Amino acid sequence: MHKITLAGENSILIYFGDKIDARLPKNITNFANALKTEFSELIIDLTPAYTSLLVSYNLGKTNYLKFAADVERLLSGFDFSSAVERSELIHIPVYYGFETGLDLERLLAEKELTLEAFVDIHSSQEYLVHAIGFSPVFAFLAEVDSCIQAPRLATPRIKIPAGSVGIADSQTAVYPTDSSGGWNIIGRTLLDLSLNNPDNLNKFNMGDRVKFYPITRDEYIKYGGIL
Amino acid sequence: MSFKVLKPGFLTTIQDYGRTTHGAHGMSQSGVMDEHAFCWANHLLENDFNDAVLEITFGGVELKALDDAVISVCGADLDFKINDQAALIWHSVKVNQGDVLSWALPKRGIRTYLAVKGGFKTPILFDSRSVNLRENIGSKLAENDILDCESSSLELDHFVAPQYIPNYNQDIVLRLLPSYQYAEFSEAQRALFFNQSYQITNANDRTGCRLDGAPIALEQEKMISEGMSYGSVEIATNGLPIILLKDAPTIGGYPKIGTVFSLDLAKLAQKQPQTKLKFELMDIHQAQKQRLKFNQFFQISPN
Repeated sequence: MHKITLAGENSILIYFGDKIDARLPKNITNFANALKTEFSELIIDLTPAYTSLLVSYNLGKTNYLKFAADVERLLSGFDFSSAVERSELIHIPVYYGFETGLDLERLLAEKELTLEAFVDIHSSQEYLVHAIGFSPVFAFLAEVDSCIQAPRLATPRIKIPAGSVGIADSQTAVYPTDSSGGWNIIGRTLLDLSLNNPDNLNKFNMGDRVKFYPITRDEYIKYGGIL
Repeated sequence: MSFKVLKPGFLTTIQDYGRTTHGAHGMSQSGVMDEHAFCWANHLLENDFNDAVLEITFGGVELKALDDAVISVCGADLDFKINDQAALIWHSVKVNQGDVLSWALPKRGIRTYLAVKGGFKTPILFDSRSVNLRENIGSKLAENDILDCESSSLELDHFVAPQYIPNYNQDIVLRLLPSYQYAEFSEAQRALFFNQSYQITNANDRTGCRLDGAPIALEQEKMISEGMSYGSVEIATNGLPIILLKDAPTIGGYPKIGTVFSLDLAKLAQKQPQTKLKFELMDIHQAQKQRLKFNQFFQISPN
């Protein structure tokens, strides 16, 4: 199922499906790469997310009808099954503690889980980057085990510290900088994901895999963690 | 050549055409809010279309020229003065070492652009000089900042012909492309949207412009987040529109009824809260034709 929709005066949106699906990030990334190769002269920017790809193009070199037809042609002949899987695996150390996991104590009570069991569930699986947005380097990771899923807070917090790891429904993510937000905070990483290090812009790409691993309170403090 | 900041004003930032190639990394487009005034300011100085300018919002700014320079100021009438004497806008202007340039308060429109020959030479961050406060990229102007630019002994006498200078007090109708979920809105929902006058609220900044009016009842309030283009109009959970602007997040999950034509967003950038506005439908081919003409005139060549 593919659909092309008008998005703006120099952009279109391509849908690759209508449900969140673990195969889509790979398919969309591969198609985005093919577009870049095929129409490098025409394309200004590509914004993938979950099930879709926003493409902006150079009005001086093409127009809506021509470009949509070009994309349609590439889509219809595109072999999604042969697409190469991205193999980037990013490891993120997390201190899961009540001082850093602002919602952890409440979630443990709600889910009737011990801290060990909760941490084990969150850190034992590989997550997939389904989208990047909200702010730069903020990667939406899925899918969180249903045992530890929790809805967004009714009232978002004004300030969540940089590095906080959160859960919102079936998704988990790390806040790269101090920001407001409504996710359930379960721990914090020491990894600097802010743009103070410009290389972080490329830290996550759609289709990358991410794995969290627990560190102790002592390790967290030893490496400069603040409680 | 440089300027020293004596008073930084309410919200004064360096902007250029924007950071147009980092959507995949969640980075906003950023860049000037009023592309029309910005392009004229650079054009008058025979600059590149992408040269960085100072975007002055509401005024309260005083700068001291540390050398001679040629500048232009285009956009809102913020009571621009040189050494306390009224000075020309929409016109190239020569300033001398020691001159004090000031913008006190908005008389017509709210955003004005100061261009210098060759553009301001602030650091390029992720392929653009545009400041984005939401993303902590760069910072707004502060007292005693020094703004560097090329020195130039150029003699210019360029100005914008009166028929091209917008009247920012005029009512605006925003032309809307039927994009995204337009077709999923019912006849009645569209009629309510196009037939009413909305009012700009106080929640109107570089990120977006929230409107007040009669809410549209939505059946499906949230959808899977997708890439949002500049000017797309979300209908939020309360049934009211938010027009997404230069510093908006790259993706979002509210249904979008359409996308406002960019040259109408330039007009919107000059409007105060409480202003009334309406939407009307625009055809994509008309929009592309008009925008292409604009791009060709100002020699805009994105990417």
